[in-house]
Amino acid sequence: MAIIELTNVTMNYGRGPRRRSALRGVSIGVPEGAFSVLLGPSGAGKSTLLKLVLAMERPEEGTIRVAGRDIHRLRKGSIPYLRRNVGVVFQDFKLLLDATPMENVALALQVLGMPRREVRERAASALCRVELDPRIRRPARCLSGGEQQRVAIARAVAGDPAILLADEPTGNLDPRLTQEIVDVLEGIRRRGTTVLLATHDPLVLDLAPLTQQIHLEHGRVVTLTDPTELSEDDIPEILPASWAGPAEAVA
Amino acid sequence: MLRPLYSLAYIIARGGRGMAQAPAVQLLAVGTIAVCMLLLGAVVLAWSNAQGVVRAWGLDVPITAYLVDDADPELVEATVRRLRTLPEVADAERVSPEQALRRLSEGLGEDGELLDGLEPSVLPGSIEIHLAPGTDPDFGRALAERLDQQPIVDEVAVAGAWAGRAHDLLQTLGDLALGAGLLVSLACMAIVWSTIRLGVYARRAEIQILRLVGGTRRFVHGPFVFEGMVQGSLGAALAMGILWLGFDAVHPFLERGLSMVFAAGALSFFTPTQVGLGIAFGASLGLLGARAAVAHYAEA
Ligand SMILES: Nc1ncnc2c1ncn2[C@@H]1O[C@H](COP(=O)(O)OP(=O)(O)O)[C@@H](O)[C@H]1O
Ligand SMILES: [Mg+2]
Repeated sequence: MAIIELTNVTMNYGRGPRRRSALRGVSIGVPEGAFSVLLGPSGAGKSTLLKLVLAMERPEEGTIRVAGRDIHRLRKGSIPYLRRNVGVVFQDFKLLLDATPMENVALALQVLGMPRREVRERAASALCRVELDPRIRRPARCLSGGEQQRVAIARAVAGDPAILLADEPTGNLDPRLTQEIVDVLEGIRRRGTTVLLATHDPLVLDLAPLTQQIHLEHGRVVTLTDPTELSEDDIPEILPASWAGPAEAVA
Repeated sequence: MLRPLYSLAYIIARGGRGMAQAPAVQLLAVGTIAVCMLLLGAVVLAWSNAQGVVRAWGLDVPITAYLVDDADPELVEATVRRLRTLPEVADAERVSPEQALRRLSEGLGEDGELLDGLEPSVLPGSIEIHLAPGTDPDFGRALAERLDQQPIVDEVAVAGAWAGRAHDLLQTLGDLALGAGLLVSLACMAIVWSTIRLGVYARRAEIQILRLVGGTRRFVHGPFVFEGMVQGSLGAALAMGILWLGFDAVHPFLERGLSMVFAAGALSFFTPTQVGLGIAFGASLGLLGARAAVAHYAEA
C-alpha cells in the first residue's frame, strides 16, 4: 500500500501576473518501507511536493493521502498529529542555532509530552543513530554543515515517524559525505521508516539503495519507477554484511 | 496519561526561561501594569469605603419610619407589603431592633465595643423605604406624612439633601470605578500584548520549528500565555501591596482628622478574598492580552 499518495495534484504560488506553477497534475504513490528518491532540477517542484505532504501548503487541485487519510481535509487542530508521523529535514536545516544538538533534538520529543528523562534518552539515541556524540555542548551554529545536517536528521527521526522527508539532505556535501548521509537514511529506513529524499543530484541515485525513483521536471512527473519495476540489479546492496551476519550464524 | 502534565511542565519552564531572557522588558511590563492597577485599586477602595460610610450613616435610606414599641407584627408586614406595591417605592424593608443594633455597632467601627451589653430592645424597630430613581421629592414628603399618621408608626425620618448628595457621590465613584476598570483593563492587555509581541518575534524560529515537529497550538502558545498571566498577576499583586501600604499610612489620619465623618476603624482595606480576586483579575487580563497577541503574531 502506498503510504504517501498524490492524485492529480496541482499547485501554484501567487496570483495574477505573479502566479507561478509549481506542480501540475502530479500523481505518485510511495510504497510503505520504500527508499524513494525524488529527482529533478532546481525549480522542478520537489520542495513544494514535500511541503504539501506536511500540510504546510494546500494543493489547488487533487488529493494527498498520507497513510490513507486525505490530509487537506483534516481539521487544523489535527495537523500537529500528522506532523508527528512525518519527520522532515529541510534544505536549510531549520535548527535553533543557539541550542546544542541535544536541545534541538529534544524539542521534537517535548512536543509529544514526554517526561524529561525519556526525552533525554531518546534524543541521545537519535543522535547516536546519525553518528553524532550526544554530549556535544557546542551550539549548532558552531557545528559544520555536515554535523548540522545530522542534527536535523536526528530531530526528524527521534520520534520514530512513519515517514521521513528529506529535502536536499546532501545539498552541498562532497561525494563521500553524501554517501554517509545516504547510509544514515538507509539505516533509518531499515528501522521501518519510509524515506522520501528530494534531490537535484543524480549522483544520489547511484549511492542510494533506492526502491523507487520519481523524476520531476517543471512540476510534472516525467518518469516514475515503481519498486516492482526495479530489476534485481537496480537494488544495490540492500542486504549488506549486517544482514548477512546473523544468516550465516544460523547456517 | 501524564502527557498533559509533562507538557504543562514544559510550557511553564519555557515561559519562565523566555521571561528570564528579557528581564528588563518583564520589569517594565509588571511595573506599568502595577501602576494601572494601583489607580483602579484606589478608586475601587474609595468607592467601597464610601459605600460603607454612607450605609453606616443611614444615608442610603431616604425614608425611615420608626415603629412604636408594641407595633403589631402583622400590621407591620401588611404595611411593608402595601408600600412595595407602590411604583415609586423601589424597596421597603422591615429592620428589627437586633439588626439595628448590629448596624450601629458596625458603623462605629472600633468604637462598636461601647455598645457591648446593650439590649437590642432599647432601639426601635423600623421600616426602611427606598424610592425609585427620579421620584419627585414631594412624593417622599407626602408618603412620610401619610406614614406618620399610621398607629404603628412612632416617628418618620426623611433624609435631607445630604442623602441625595451622598448618593450622587457614590454614583460618581461607582461610575469612576467602572470607567477606570475598563480603561485599566485595556491598558493592561495592551502592555501584555506588546511584550508578547516582542517575545514572539524573538522566538519566531523556534515557533516555526515547534510547528513543523508537531507542536499543538496550545503547546506553541502556552509559554506566551503563561508569561502574560505571570505579568498580570505580579502587576496586580504589586499594586495591592503598594495600595495596602498607602492605606495603612493614610487611614489613621482620615479617621482621626475627619472623625466627624469616619468613626475609628470604619475604613477598611480589601478582604483577603477581594485581594485574591484582584490578582486573579490581573492574571485574566494577562491571559487575554497574551492569547490575543500570540494568536495574532504567531499565526501570521
Ligand atoms: N514561496 C514561494 N512563492 C512563490 N513561488 C515559489 C515559492 N516556492 C517555490 N516557488 C516556485 O515554485 C516552483 C517550484 O519550486 P520548488 O518546489 O522550491 O522547487 P525545487 O524544490 O524542486 O527546487 C519554482 O518555480 C519556484 O520559483
Ligand atoms: Mg527545493
